Amino acid sequence: MQGSISNNIRALRFHHGEMSQAQLGQRIGLTRQTVAAIEAGKYSPSLEAAFRIAQVFGVPLTEVFQWQAVESD
Amino acid sequence: MSHREKTAWLSLIALAVTFGPYFAMVAINPPDGSLPNLRQLGLYAVVAIVQLLILGAGHLYLRRASPEEARMPADERDRAISQRATTWAYYVLIAGMIVVGCIMPFTTGGWTLVNTALAMITASQVVHYGIAVLNYRRQA
Repeated sequence: MQGSISNNIRALRFHHGEMSQAQLGQRIGLTRQTVAAIEAGKYSPSLEAAFRIAQVFGVPLTEVFQWQAVESD
Repeated sequence: MSHREKTAWLSLIALAVTFGPYFAMVAINPPDGSLPNLRQLGLYAVVAIVQLLILGAGHLYLRRASPEEARMPADERDRAISQRATTWAYYVLIAGMIVVGCIMPFTTGGWTLVNTALAMITASQVVHYGIAVLNYRRQA
């Protein structure tokens, strides 16, 4: 099964006092560039990093990341 | 651009401006087969020292330009990129060492063998830093 991972990190940052990518990165031990790559959907974080991001925003993991499956024939 | 991407660029540039001209000179004017050939050894020593100086000065400059970023430990994406780069560089290095260690000794020797070995090591370094830069550029 193929699919893609999308995320709401940009919106969540905005709703948490316009937190910067650098600030989020600092809180979860990632560089600003890695946060930018995750946000852009270019890099899929480890499960641990994903949980940390969700914890920073105080929301369940599924509110941060979504899996969109594409059915192949 | 992250600190680690800058250092990968620095390493690529240092290789290009030192070993690039070295291998061009060796290709145009191959050293004679006599060993130890101090002139050739001296040329290699100069190139290696210049590379070290470029790397030292470059790292110092980058650390002073953004000390906070330089102090930050590698994160999971940095480690993944490094692992990918090392894997590809290993293939190049092992192929080169098979050529230099298992095939070339039957046909040649001396500085040709030494320079081919150096070229293979340099090629693996170029692949390592090249893959790292490419991955950082693509945000992979």
